[in-house]
Amino acid sequence: MAFYDVYSHPALVRYKTSVCTKATLFLVVVLCLTYISPLLVAYRSQGFWIKRRTYEEQPVVRFQYQTLLVAATSTRGDYVAWSSFPHLNNMLGANLRIPSVSVREDDQNQDGKTDLLIFQLQLPLKPEEQVYSVQLLLTFSYKLFRMSTVVMQSLAYVQHSSSVPGAKLSVSGDLRLQQRTPLPHRGLYDMYNVPVIDGSSPFASAYNLDNIIRSYQERNLTTVLSYPMPVWTVGRAAGSPFQLNIEIRYPMEVISYRPGFWETIKCAWIQYVSVLLVFLWVFERVQRFVFQNQVLTTVPVPVGKPHLS
Amino acid sequence: MSNTSDLLTLPPTDFDSPIPTTPRYSRTEEPIQPTLPAEPLPVSGRLLTPVTKVGSLCPCDKHKDVCDINCCCDRACSEEVALFTGCSVDTVSGKKQLCSNDVATYSLESRIDGYSELQSSVRKETNYDVFCIQSQNRVDGLSHPSPALPTDSNFDSLFKEFTSFIFGSEENGGPVAPAEHQALSGYQWGDVMVTAGESGQRGMFWLPAPCVTADCVDTSPAAFLKDQSSRCSRRVVLKQDCGSLLALKMDTYTDIRVFAGKTQDAALVPVEVASVILQSVDGTQTELMISGGENLNPVLLNPTVCANVVLKVAYVTKYNPAGEIVNVTVSLVLGFVREAALSLEQEFHITFFQEDGEEAAIHCSGNPGYVVGLPLVSGTRTAEYPLPAWTLDFPHLDLQTAQDLSLTVVVTGIARSVDPRDTVSLLHSAEDQDCLQGPHRRSPVLFGLDSVSGCTLRLKDAANCSLVLEVLLDALRGPNHANFVASFGNSPLDYPLDWIPIESNFNPVEAQSCSIPLSLHLQIEWTKYGLLMNPQAQIVSIKEVIRTNTTSLDMLSGGSSILSIRSSVAFVPVSAAALPGYRATPTINAKLPFDFFFPFV
Repeated sequence: MAFYDVYSHPALVRYKTSVCTKATLFLVVVLCLTYISPLLVAYRSQGFWIKRRTYEEQPVVRFQYQTLLVAATSTRGDYVAWSSFPHLNNMLGANLRIPSVSVREDDQNQDGKTDLLIFQLQLPLKPEEQVYSVQLLLTFSYKLFRMSTVVMQSLAYVQHSSSVPGAKLSVSGDLRLQQRTPLPHRGLYDMYNVPVIDGSSPFASAYNLDNIIRSYQERNLTTVLSYPMPVWTVGRAAGSPFQLNIEIRYPMEVISYRPGFWETIKCAWIQYVSVLLVFLWVFERVQRFVFQNQVLTTVPVPVGKPHLS
Repeated sequence: MSNTSDLLTLPPTDFDSPIPTTPRYSRTEEPIQPTLPAEPLPVSGRLLTPVTKVGSLCPCDKHKDVCDINCCCDRACSEEVALFTGCSVDTVSGKKQLCSNDVATYSLESRIDGYSELQSSVRKETNYDVFCIQSQNRVDGLSHPSPALPTDSNFDSLFKEFTSFIFGSEENGGPVAPAEHQALSGYQWGDVMVTAGESGQRGMFWLPAPCVTADCVDTSPAAFLKDQSSRCSRRVVLKQDCGSLLALKMDTYTDIRVFAGKTQDAALVPVEVASVILQSVDGTQTELMISGGENLNPVLLNPTVCANVVLKVAYVTKYNPAGEIVNVTVSLVLGFVREAALSLEQEFHITFFQEDGEEAAIHCSGNPGYVVGLPLVSGTRTAEYPLPAWTLDFPHLDLQTAQDLSLTVVVTGIARSVDPRDTVSLLHSAEDQDCLQGPHRRSPVLFGLDSVSGCTLRLKDAANCSLVLEVLLDALRGPNHANFVASFGNSPLDYPLDWIPIESNFNPVEAQSCSIPLSLHLQIEWTKYGLLMNPQAQIVSIKEVIRTNTTSLDMLSGGSSILSIRSSVAFVPVSAAALPGYRATPTINAKLPFDFFFPFV
């Protein structure tokens, strides 16, 4: 007749000792090692406290209908310019050339956020004029909502110049967000909700492209129009206007932010506990060996002894 | 437009808010009219209800009551169908998400005589997707929400909601009104200064400035209390413009009368001419004694040169604490324009000084520490005996003349120029690049900016060694060579311990037979002084290193017969850098990294 395990149960053995003994000291050391060393291991292996995370969001972008156009019309440095700012237009005097502009913002996937701006500009030219370079500023209202509410006014800058006079410039690009520092994880971030170009200023320095771009680039949060492949078409027919076709897409952005307190704690907790489990198991074995084999003197109390309480 | 009238008779839609039961006028506001029933605006009418029947939908029907070619579902094409060759739209289906939806199909069959015949049918199609919609009880679930109907009462709010940015939405359209705050008689910071024209019409004080390009824009106003300096170019065609272009004429900048304040009855302050400097063709400047009566208008001397053209204009405006302009003086530089120059560069400055401001004459380069980008303060040591009495009753220094003539203020010990840019300077490279051709343009050494510049020396000019040595030293060090530099930006002149001597390694006595300086290098050591939050820059030592040639010049030039002479300046910070983290470590020195308790502390 073969024997088999019909039933089994673990037996609990208590080991008793008084306070001032080696066993107590051992217990304290083991507890410290068990709970503190995982913290050190998790910290030293980097990435314990999370300081920067990312999320994805499509911004709510609206074209602000503020435009500033400068076009060089000769190789000697003659230019024509136009803007949507009345003060600047008054200052330009004879260099003012009013183009015809058409703008359309399109929501292609019908999610309530505009995805594409189509900006078309036709600049009439006199017979002796040719376009050699184009500079264009467009301003946008840019909003993010998912983590912190970001409201800002931003800029897109198109510049192209060529030694050959052109008939048309086509630009198709993305309005990308550029962050120098991560955003906060909550709250309202409207530090940059100020006009990029101060249209109410009567001073010429307010419209100096150099000043505008320099003060804009000082911001921590900017947008930049990335257009890797501008197309400059040459061969303008006499009497036909110079055409500027711009398509600007508002793509999904990966935005980095500084996580809040509980998010930091949550990630640290996961790392700590997963290392702690290993240490718990190891030191459990160590303790069992020490007490079972009476390496340190204690009084074992088997479970069979009635414990009336 | 024909069916607008009958559309108007339709009952109000359910989009209208229940205005009659809950009046939303506040108590303070007068009910202007008896509550208008929220009628739709006449032209808007009731919005059409969407057509959902597949059989009556026709996406290619673009012309009403006219047959669209190859549009098989167009009801106006009963006769033309025979001429069609194909259907531009052959199926029209309902909502795809429904489990069974209606599909209308259109196809053409050719008859025996060559004409086409339309076959159309509407049938039910079953959707075999697991997640299809069996029945749809939310009407607006798959369509756009109906827009609110514009009425008299909600039009403004709807307009505000949907038109965020539009063309022509500038708040400040048109030029600014010169007088906005009539309560104040004087100007405030940034205000446009008002001028009076010949016949009393009000204008603005213009200060030409570059705008979107480097070209001068004449109609840019000057702002009160905003010191401005601008440099812009102007294209001139000499034959036409020399006598006629207003921007070249001196009178344009001097015949101005400014209103002392913003009010209508403010006194008129004429612009006074403080000095006129004539610049010759080669750049030397002489001051013109203004006696009146000379004609300083631009003159075409010969077809290629135009004389008496305004090159530089500097206004100095004095104001009193009430914001009223006390006087305005202008200094001008007149010169020549040659035909060869395509465009002319003009410089415009305006500075503001408070009346009775004694400090106005002397500029500091920081208070106390140097500010990056401001010129070093330098001076020369004079004899240290008590000064004669003329310094005590020093005449009230006219700033502009003082700046132009570079007068020096002499107090015990150190003397310095009142012009902040007349200080330790570097050679500024010029077009001809020749070290021996003076006068050289110089650029002041600005605190914190390392810079390098130079000129060239042709070996055939270097025959007379001792002469070349002197000319080169003069060119490298500058005409009025200072030997002391202030350790702080505001070091007082009567405190010589604050002034650091410029050490030099160059001793002209021991200079050998033919050793000429090849480079001049200024090494300036500075340190940060004071609090970590607000450090002040202090210059601790300044050393002039002149390197002379040790071998023959021919060897150095490598046979090219041209030597390059360099002048440079370097600022060396000698202060210890601030450390990240806690400057004073906490008392529990547990050797933990500083961000160990990152989110807690």
